[in-house]
Amino acid sequence: MKRILAKAFAALLLMLSVVASAQESIPAVDVIVSPSLISTKFDRSLLRAVFTMRLRQWPDGSPIRVFVLPDHDPLSDQFYRERLGMYSYVLRRAWDRMVFTGTGLAPTVVQSEREMIERVRSTPGAIGYVGKRELSESDGQLLRSMSLLLAEGDND
Amino acid sequence: MTDRMHEPTVRTAVVLAAICFGTSAHAIDYQVHGYAAQGFVYSQHNNFFGDSTDGSFDYYEAGISATVEVTPKLLLAAQAAVRDAGISDDGSGRLDYALADYRLLSEATTQAGLRAGKVKNALGFYNETRDVVFTRPSILLPSVYSDNQNQRSLIFTAPGAQAYGSTFFGQHELSFSGTVNAERDVRESDERLLIRLSVPFDLRIGDSWNVQVMDSIDGGKWQFAYSRFVGQFRMTTDINLIGRFDVDLDVFSARYNAERFTLTAEYVIVGNENLLQLRGTPILRQSVEADGGYLQAEYRLRPEWTVMTRMDSFYRNRHDRSGREFAATNPGADRRSQVSHDFTIGVQWRPDEHWGVWAEHHWINGTASLQGLENPPPVRDQRWSMLMLMAGYKF
Repeated sequence: MKRILAKAFAALLLMLSVVASAQESIPAVDVIVSPSLISTKFDRSLLRAVFTMRLRQWPDGSPIRVFVLPDHDPLSDQFYRERLGMYSYVLRRAWDRMVFTGTGLAPTVVQSEREMIERVRSTPGAIGYVGKRELSESDGQLLRSMSLLLAEGDND
Repeated sequence: MTDRMHEPTVRTAVVLAAICFGTSAHAIDYQVHGYAAQGFVYSQHNNFFGDSTDGSFDYYEAGISATVEVTPKLLLAAQAAVRDAGISDDGSGRLDYALADYRLLSEATTQAGLRAGKVKNALGFYNETRDVVFTRPSILLPSVYSDNQNQRSLIFTAPGAQAYGSTFFGQHELSFSGTVNAERDVRESDERLLIRLSVPFDLRIGDSWNVQVMDSIDGGKWQFAYSRFVGQFRMTTDINLIGRFDVDLDVFSARYNAERFTLTAEYVIVGNENLLQLRGTPILRQSVEADGGYLQAEYRLRPEWTVMTRMDSFYRNRHDRSGREFAATNPGADRRSQVSHDFTIGVQWRPDEHWGVWAEHHWINGTASLQGLENPPPVRDQRWSMLMLMAGYKF
């Protein structure tokens, strides 16, 4: 039963903790991606290439769809600093430069973390971010047990 | 005048998009963006961007663009725009850019590609997006960019091909862009700003090229760039008088981005080699190097409020910074027309991602940045000032 629940949840949403960064202790913002991308290793340089919109495709050639919260949202600021090591205004400046020179697409701005989760879940090749506190108590518990199960599953 | 909206590049882009829409399995990602801003200029003594000594609204900009990601490797983009800036820009519609971008290399650490169509020249930090106030540090660009000057038509977008790439190397993000532009015509409205001649003439721009290399360190905390542009104006008349005006620009750029403040400095050297020939005999040969530079500080008080200040200087002849040599060889000429020192203080309010309001004041010493046709001689006041306001919307 637990395994079925875990798999069902994995199909809906997968939380990835970025492992590579040595600078921060316990991060408060997580990267979220479409289920097909769970095996991708997200280090800082990949995240930067994705969120600066320079990279347009995943290794398998599928298009990258980037979702972000509004610039002034504290979570955005936190994510850009912690995960990308960039200030949000520097990122916004880079996006505007692309948009107004025809050299790239801008990320899609969503208005809430709920919308973020919904969009990332339903869009192939999507990537975004949420705060850890976004999970309800039960979601959080389910996730912790799920990640344990997944770890077990890897050993099969 | 050629109707730019029907240029072959636009037609090709539309056809390509139609084909790909029909055959692609993925949902195609596309975006439409736009901007519009209205400015107001009120100046003391001298006119700038219109009849500004009486207050001028003759300053606005607007554009609409579409970008289509046909596949992650192929991007099509086009923007149509208008800009009015007193006598220096006439508000007529133009094709700002129209290009196909093909990505040759797409890896996490390195990307590279080619663009073809009407492409933008990368000069300094601001040339590519100079007509969108949301991407400018202030309403008026620093003199390095010659906002009111004739250089615009030279370094403006033109049909051509561009190679670009960027790579991550430790803490450095190195990027490069190289562009070649085909020969093109100069708009009639720009021609009369560049040359005053009593006989009819035609002005064209010969083949030109442009490169930029940029180093962005530690997520953009430090940014350094070098840009070079080389081009040539060619003038022909019916009376066997021809002109060749070679222009080359070197721009050095540096920027420091901290959490609350940003410091920017840029410096340009403009080389001019002018040659006039009448019936095959050179009648004028001129070699002048102009230069200019600025130091600018921006401070983000709050997410919605930014204040800025800038010190900017421009010299028409870097070997004659006081302008005295010019006045000596041109009796009656004012030496202060050879320089321009501008001290600016500005504020920007961005209540949300769509709206913006800008206000700034310029204190200027020197008249090098004035348009002659807006300020018929004699220009008496070398010290002058202007207030600029702008309100804009983007989506």
